[in-house]
Amino acid sequence: MISFESVGVRYAGRARPVLNGVDLTIPEGEFCLVVGATGSGKSTLLGAVNGLVPHFTGGTLSGRVRVHGRDTRTHPPRELADLVGVVGQDPRSSFIADIVEDELAYTMESLALPRDVMRRRIEDMLDLLSLAELRDRPVASLSAGQAQRVAIGAVLTAHPKILVLDEPTSALDPAAAEEVLAVLQRLVHDNGLTVLLAEHRLERVLHYADSVIWVPGHGAPVVYGDPAEVIALAPVYPSVIGLARLAGWDPVPLSVRDARRRSAHLRASLPAHPVRPGEAGDGGAVIARTAKLRVRFGDVEALDGVDLSLRQGQIVAVMGRNGAGKSTLLSCLVGLIKPTTGKVRLGAGAGRDPRAIPPRGLIHEVGMVPQQASDLLYAETVARECSAADRESGAPQGTCATLLADIAGDVEPEMHPRDLSEGQRLAVALAVILITSPRLVLLDEPTRGLDYPAKARLVSTLRRMAEGGQAIVLATHDVELAAEVADRTIVLADGRVVADGPSREVVTHSPVFAPQVAKVLSPLPYLTVADVSRSLAGGR
Amino acid sequence: MNSAVRLSPAAILSLIAVGLVGIAAFGWPLVIATSANSDHAADAPWVFVLMVPLLLAVVGTQITSGGMDAKAVALLGVLAGVAALLRPLTGGVSGVQLMFFLLIPAGRVFGPGFGFILGNVAMFASAVLTGGGGPWLPFQMFAAGWIGLGAGLLPRLTGKPELALLAGYGLLSGVGYGFVMNLWFWPFAASRAGAAAAVSFVPDASLADNLHRWLVFSVTTGLTFDVPRGLATAAALLLVGRPVLASLRRAARRAAFEAPVEFQPAIRGAGPDTSNATNHPIHPGASK
Amino acid sequence: MARARYVHPVAWWIWALCLAWAAMRTTNILLLLTITAVASYVVGARRSRAVWGNSFRLLLLFGAVTVFLSVLLQVVLGTRVGGHSLLVLPRWNLPSWTAGLSVGGDVTAEALLASLTSGLRLAVLIACFGAANSLAHPGRLLKLVPGALYELGVAVVVAMTFIPQLTESIGRVHRALRLRGRTATGWRGLHAMVVPILEEALDSAISLAASMDSRGYGRTAAVPAAFRRTTNAVLLLGLGGALVGSYFVVDPNADHRFGTAALVAGTLVASAAGTLAGRRVHRTKYRRDPWAAAEWLTVGTGALVVAGYLLGHPNPSVALVLQWPTLPVLPFAATLLAGLAGVLTPPPYPRAYRARAPRVAEVAR
Repeated sequence: MISFESVGVRYAGRARPVLNGVDLTIPEGEFCLVVGATGSGKSTLLGAVNGLVPHFTGGTLSGRVRVHGRDTRTHPPRELADLVGVVGQDPRSSFIADIVEDELAYTMESLALPRDVMRRRIEDMLDLLSLAELRDRPVASLSAGQAQRVAIGAVLTAHPKILVLDEPTSALDPAAAEEVLAVLQRLVHDNGLTVLLAEHRLERVLHYADSVIWVPGHGAPVVYGDPAEVIALAPVYPSVIGLARLAGWDPVPLSVRDARRRSAHLRASLPAHPVRPGEAGDGGAVIARTAKLRVRFGDVEALDGVDLSLRQGQIVAVMGRNGAGKSTLLSCLVGLIKPTTGKVRLGAGAGRDPRAIPPRGLIHEVGMVPQQASDLLYAETVARECSAADRESGAPQGTCATLLADIAGDVEPEMHPRDLSEGQRLAVALAVILITSPRLVLLDEPTRGLDYPAKARLVSTLRRMAEGGQAIVLATHDVELAAEVADRTIVLADGRVVADGPSREVVTHSPVFAPQVAKVLSPLPYLTVADVSRSLAGGR
Repeated sequence: MNSAVRLSPAAILSLIAVGLVGIAAFGWPLVIATSANSDHAADAPWVFVLMVPLLLAVVGTQITSGGMDAKAVALLGVLAGVAALLRPLTGGVSGVQLMFFLLIPAGRVFGPGFGFILGNVAMFASAVLTGGGGPWLPFQMFAAGWIGLGAGLLPRLTGKPELALLAGYGLLSGVGYGFVMNLWFWPFAASRAGAAAAVSFVPDASLADNLHRWLVFSVTTGLTFDVPRGLATAAALLLVGRPVLASLRRAARRAAFEAPVEFQPAIRGAGPDTSNATNHPIHPGASK
Repeated sequence: MARARYVHPVAWWIWALCLAWAAMRTTNILLLLTITAVASYVVGARRSRAVWGNSFRLLLLFGAVTVFLSVLLQVVLGTRVGGHSLLVLPRWNLPSWTAGLSVGGDVTAEALLASLTSGLRLAVLIACFGAANSLAHPGRLLKLVPGALYELGVAVVVAMTFIPQLTESIGRVHRALRLRGRTATGWRGLHAMVVPILEEALDSAISLAASMDSRGYGRTAAVPAAFRRTTNAVLLLGLGGALVGSYFVVDPNADHRFGTAALVAGTLVASAAGTLAGRRVHRTKYRRDPWAAAEWLTVGTGALVVAGYLLGHPNPSVALVLQWPTLPVLPFAATLLAGLAGVLTPPPYPRAYRARAPRVAEVAR
C-alpha cells in the first residue's frame, strides 16, 4: 500500500539530510506505529506519505514514495486527498468551517462529490465516531477529545485508504485518548484502513500496533518490523518493556495483559512493599494552603470546596479528567483567578494572598509554567530570552543560561524559541520561571509532546528542585510521570478532591490512574521499574 | 524576497485601472459641478457606491487568478483575523485603531499584492465581526488595500531606518485614511440643511474652493480621530515593529513560498550520517 | 433531532436594504425610530447565533454616539441661521483661512433638530446594516461567493473561525505575562503580548495550510490558455471602459449620462469576465440554503416597506420646520409589517433545542 524506495529527504538550506535510504513497504490494513526521539524525522516520514514533503515544505526528495500505485512526485497532496487522510496534533488548527457538519463535508466538497453521496457519508461518519449530537455545534465549543474525533471524521469522509496521524492523543486525557485509539483500532480491523501513527506515549498505543517503524534520526537507517523486535532495538520504550527487560522475559510482552500473565514469578519474589530510596518523608513546612476554595464561572462550578496544604520539598501530582478543575486550581494558587469564596495563602507560614502581592514580588513566591510554554517566551533567540528574563527578575546576567544548561544542556542559544523541540521549549520556560527560585513551582501539563529522554531530564530536574526545598505541583494526565516523580497524588473530579495521599496508595488500585507497572504487579504497590529493580537488588 | 502572491501583468493593470477609478470615486466632490441637473450631484455617489464593490471584486479575482496556494490563503486569513480583531479591540469607535500597525509590516514582508488583498479582507472581516458594514465598507476596504499595497512598494531598507520608514508611512496612512474617508463621507454629512455652511459641500463651487472646504472639514473633524490614529500607528510601529517584522519574516521563511521542490533519483548506497547536530525539520504543526 | 433552519442570507439582506433605503428617504424622526425598533425586534427574534456578528446592541450604542456627535458638531460649529434661539454660546471667530467658520454663537432649535435628524438617519442606516449582519449567517453568505473569488471567501472564513481562537490566545498570553512578573501595561507589555500571539497565529496558519492541502484544497479544472487570455482581455477592456466612464461622470464639463453608462457597462462586463474566469474552481456544495416560503415572506415584507414609502411619503425632503412630527400612516404601517419577518419565519434553532456551548472545556482546561 505504501512503499518507500530508497527515499532521502533534505530540506533547503540544510547540509545534512533528515532521512536517508528509507526502504520499506507497508501492506494494506496495517496499524503501524512510528517511534523516535523528537527531531528524529518522524514528521518528515509521515509528511512524505501524502506528499506534503516536499510539495508543501520545499526541499529535495530522492527516491520514490508510492502510495497505492500513485507516485508522490507527480501527485501533490491535493491529488492524494481521496487516498490519504492526515490528522495532526492540534485539531483546532485544522478546522476550516464553523459548524461540525460543514467541517465533515469540506474534504468531500473539495473532491467535488455529489451532494447525496456527501450526505450519506456524513451520516455514516457521525454514527461511526459518535458525533451525532454534535452535528450542529460550532467547532470552537468542542472539547479536545470531541475536536480530535471531528478532525478524524473530517478526513475519513473522503474514504481514504490510509490515515496518517501525528501525535493525535497528546492533548487528550487518558479516557479521550482511549476513545480515539479504539476508534482507530476499529477502523483498521473492521474497515481495512491502513493507519500510520506517530506517538510519544507508547504505553497508550504499543499493544495496538501490528508493526513499528523506528526512526533513529540524523539520517541513520530506519528500522521497520515486528513491534517486539524493533522496540528491543529502540532507546524509547514504555515501562512494560522496561519491566520485561529487567525480569528477563522473552519474547517481550507488549501489553499489560501479556506482561501480567508472565509476572507470577516476579510477583512472588518481590517484597510486599518496595524498598524506599530514602524518601524525604512527609515534606517540610507548609508553604501554601487553600481553604474551602470555590471558583465559579457563570453557572459552572470549576472548583467546589478544595482544601489542601502544600509542603516544602514535596512533589504533588494533580490528576483528573479534562474539565475537573486542575488548571483552575493552579491558576488560583498563582493568583490569576479570584476565588469566588474561600482562601488561598502562600509564602512562609502560608499567610499571604497571592492576589495581594504585586507581580514582581509574586515571582519570588510562586512560579508557574503554563500549558503552552511558548506563551511565556517572546524574544527572538534563546539567549535574548534569558537575558531579558534575568533583567526583569533583577537577577545577575547569566543566571537563566546556567539554569537552562542544568535542565537541558543541548539548547543552542541562537535558536528561535519556537524552533526548539517541545522538551527544549519547556526547559527554557522552566529556566525563566526558576530564576527567582520561587518556593512553589507549578507546572500545567508539562509532558505534552515530550519524548522519553526529555521526560527523564524533566524528572531529574524536578527531583533536584524538591531536594532543594521547593514545593512542586504538577497538573498532568501522564500517569507514568506522576508515578515516577510524585510523592503525593491528588485526584480531582468535578472540582472536588476525590483522593489525596501518598502516590502509592492513591494510584495503585485505580484503573484509570495506575501506571503500567502497577497494573502488571497488582496488588503489590509498585509504581515504577526503578521500584522493582531497587527491591530486587535490595532483596538479594 | 518572499512574495506570497505573484502579480501577473493583467493583475497590475487591473489594479492601476481600478485605482484610478477609485481616485474618481473618492475625489468627485472636489470637481463635480452641475450645469444642467442639480440633482446629478446626488447621483454620482450612488453610482460609485454600487460599482466600486464590483470593481474591487474584479481586482480580487485578477490578483488571485494565479491561484493562491493554501499557505498564502491561510496566512491571509489568519492575518486578516488578527487585523480585524485589532480594530474594535483598540478602539474602533473613536477611530484610533491599530489595524494598520499589522497591515503595514505584513504588506512589506509579503509583497504588495498580498498587502492589497490583506487590507481588503481584513477590513471586510472586521465589518463582519462588528456588524459595522454599510455603503462605506467597500471604500474602507479600498483605502486599506492601498495602504497595504503601498507598504509593499516601499524601498528596501533594514534596521532602524526601516522602522523609521514604516513609522512615517504609518503616520501618513493613518491620517491619510481618515482624510480620504472624510472625502467620501463629506457630501453626505455636511450638505444637509443646518450643518456648517462654511464646511459643507457646495456642488457648484470651484475646485479650489471645495478643496479648501474639504480640508477645513477634515481638519476640524479629523483632528480628534485621524491624527491620533496616525500617531498611534507610528508609535506602535516604532516600539514594537521590529519583533512584528521578525515574526512575519520567520513565517515567510517557514512557508517557503518560493522554496524549490526538487526530485532526485535514488542515491544508492548512501550511508547513515553520523554527525550529531539535531535536525529541525520545518514541518508544519507536528512533533519536531 | 430538530435541525437548525436559517433563512437564506440574501433574503435577510434584501429585507435590511429595503429598510435602509426607507431610512435614507425620510427625515421624520418617528418613522426613523420605528424602523430602528422593528429592526431590533427582528434581530432579537431571529439572529443567527453565529460566533461573530452578534454585536447589534453595541451598534445601537454606536448609533446613539453618532447622534450625539452630530448634535455636538452642530452646537459647536453650526451655521447660525435664524430661528428660535435656545442657547447663546460665546462666539469666537476662527481665523480667516477657515473660510468663515466660527465656534459658538447662537444655537437654534431648528439647527439642533436638523442635526439630530441627520445623525439619527446615519444611526438607523448603521443599525439596518448591523441587523443584516446579525440575521444573515455570514458563513452561509460566504458560501454563495462565486468561484472566481473562492480563495478570498476561504480567507474570510479562516479569519472568522480564527478569531475565537485568537481571543483565547490573548487571554492566555495576558495571564502568562503576569507569570513572568510584569503587568500588561506600557510598551514592554505590548511587546511581550504581541509576539507570542502573532507567532502562534502564524504557526496556526501554516498548520492550517498543510491540513487544507491534505484535504484537497486547490483542486482546479484546467482552463485552456486561450480562454484565459480572452477573458483577461475582455476584463481589462471592461475596466478601461469603467475608468473612462468614471472620469466622464466626474468631469464638470462632460456628458454625465454617457459617463454613468460607460462606468456601469464597463464594470458589468469586467465582472462577467471575472466570473467566467472562475470556472476553474471545481467544487460541489454540501449545503444548499433553500429559497422557500420563508424567504419570499422576508423579501415580501421588505418590498412592502419600499412600496409604503414610495406611496405614502412622496416628498422626502421635508422642510425643517420646528413642529411636532406627524406620523404618516402608510409608511408606519408598512414598517410595522416588516416586523412580521421576525414572527412568521422559522427560528434558527427550534425552542426545544438550545445549543449551550460547554465553556467548561475551555475555561477549566
